[in-house]
Amino acid sequence: MGLKELENKSIYIIREAYAEFDNPAILWSMGKDSTTALWLCRKAFFGDIPFPVIHIDTGYKFKQMYEFRDRIASEWGFDLVIAKNEDAIKAGVGPKSGKLECCTKLKTEALMQYIDKRGFDALFLAIRRDEHGIRAKERVFSPRDEAFRWNYRDQPLEMWDQYQTQTQTQTQTQSQSEETVQNHTRVHPILHWRELDVWEYIKREKIIPVNSMYFASNGKRYRSLGCEPCTSPIDSNANTIDAIVKELRTTKVAERSGRAQDKEKAFMMQKLRALGYM
Amino acid sequence: MNVNVVLVGHVDHGKSTLIGRLLYDSESLMGERVEEIQKLAEEYKRKFEFAYFLDSFEDELKEERTIDTVSLMFKSKKNYYTITDVPGHKEFIKNMLTGASHADVAVLVVSAEEGVQEQTRRHMFLLKMLGIRQVFVVVNKMDAVGYKSEQFETVKSQIGMLLNSFGFKTEVFIPISAMDGDNVYRKCEVMDWYKGPTLIETLDGVKLSSDEKPLRFVVQDIYSVDSERIIAGRVESGRLQKGAEVIFEPSGTKGEIERIIVFDADLEEAEAGDSIGVVITAGDVKRGDVFGLLKRPPKPVNEFLGEAVLLDKSMRKGETLELRCGTAKVACKIKEIKEKINSETGQVIGERPEEIYEHDAATIVFATEPVVVEKFADIPELGRFVLVKADKNIGAGVVLN
Repeated sequence: MGLKELENKSIYIIREAYAEFDNPAILWSMGKDSTTALWLCRKAFFGDIPFPVIHIDTGYKFKQMYEFRDRIASEWGFDLVIAKNEDAIKAGVGPKSGKLECCTKLKTEALMQYIDKRGFDALFLAIRRDEHGIRAKERVFSPRDEAFRWNYRDQPLEMWDQYQTQTQTQTQTQSQSEETVQNHTRVHPILHWRELDVWEYIKREKIIPVNSMYFASNGKRYRSLGCEPCTSPIDSNANTIDAIVKELRTTKVAERSGRAQDKEKAFMMQKLRALGYM
Repeated sequence: MNVNVVLVGHVDHGKSTLIGRLLYDSESLMGERVEEIQKLAEEYKRKFEFAYFLDSFEDELKEERTIDTVSLMFKSKKNYYTITDVPGHKEFIKNMLTGASHADVAVLVVSAEEGVQEQTRRHMFLLKMLGIRQVFVVVNKMDAVGYKSEQFETVKSQIGMLLNSFGFKTEVFIPISAMDGDNVYRKCEVMDWYKGPTLIETLDGVKLSSDEKPLRFVVQDIYSVDSERIIAGRVESGRLQKGAEVIFEPSGTKGEIERIIVFDADLEEAEAGDSIGVVITAGDVKRGDVFGLLKRPPKPVNEFLGEAVLLDKSMRKGETLELRCGTAKVACKIKEIKEKINSETGQVIGERPEEIYEHDAATIVFATEPVVVEKFADIPELGRFVLVKADKNIGAGVVLN
């Protein structure tokens, strides 16, 4: 798809979700994808984002990411919610606890706590199909049950642009001991974009802010941003948006190659996502 | 050009393998992904298979079958393709429809060993209902039948008859081996008896029709921005010019388009697919309304004849469901089930039944609250609908009349 079609479709999805749900919010990781999604929200609503923007803060993000967050939040003037699993952080959960445990506690559970607190019924997430095999299997509107689970074996019928807009109660398999929160629907407005599309769009729009960590210095740049202990840069000399676009047109290196949690073992990402990971 | 291609066909006829092959031969796969799959194959003590690029659920790999649909992108010398794999099992028809609904053209994969099977037929029926008219046939696994032209001809004539019975005018039949890549990206020397194009040559030759259709705009929402009322929505078909005289239905409001806007800019016109905002003088408008030009207006209806396929346990005459078309959401009653249709064969298997069941198709008279729908043949964007029951999307169909 061309950039115009990609943008049109994303705006349509964002407006559908806003019309159908009572209390949506968007997740923002300060990376290129979710910052692009924020920009698309501004376009969809002609300027202001009419719902909260959530940053899930593990406490392990890069210093440049926190600076970027605070600068953009004040420039664009949205309602920033910082979600932190304080108890887990106090209990010392960290990368040394194992990646499944760390991601689940500090990301998934932190988000669960805020959904519970704020009663969000829809969450916008800037995942893309081409990022990871498991994300390729997602619907645009994807329901999650009270235990936060993704029932990937029985996903809704989603034809044309008719989305499943009701989050169903799926309690049949749920045990009493599991922690539950309000069920919600994940909405994926840029699911149909490729990594290259995002950069070409950033180039075209000119005003989408980009974290400096994406640009190469001393022969290295970050291609995907995450927590400091589990994210490593790739070899690259691309130090401008144009150079990144050029690099992506020919690269054979996977986008998430620097993200440790995907790789620990086979199907790690599926396990994380079935538990509600983003 | 962008082309959306869906691969359909019976289970184990090689849809996922063929897509894996297309991605590999078009050099769209990351080196690391190939290594990852090799590692997985070793872990599961299996031979490396192209299908593993698509079947990314652990369950899919264990069960060796595709459960859910997946779309992947690749580029040939000529086109950008979004290629969609769908499951070949009856129990996953819902996922097949989800995947096929966005397709411009379809590639039907039929095994040279097994020929036409149950899902080959059902998928053809569903493609016809979805209005996908261009279907190319690949006869796969030619390596398993010794590349014999006789076997190809036998399967070809079998499929030809099937396609004719559903009204498809298909002329392209390609003998391939997805596993080895024969006649996918490169010509196969062993099958020198085949003089036609490879699959990629066929796809690169696709022409998509772009008939001018009347203007239809669906209203998604009403926003107030700097105390101006903006009607947000999408142009579904045709073109919209600033100053146009339009009518919103079923609200009945008439007005002149004063502004066409996107964030921070005014436009003179918009075309099909554009997500925009419009400003009109006055009058009530709500989500679900459709506007068109006064001289070729949309007409709200209370009743229409549709053809639908059911993916839930059952549906009874007299039952009330929710119908969604465009952004409209209305109550709709099953006034009459005219004909019950076997979704495998396309045959009518019952006149005026009281009830239909999972995987049945039917022609149905729907009685609805006022809503704008169009004949699928005229404006497909507003000629297709989904049925919702107990908050779940349970069926889909098209408007016949």
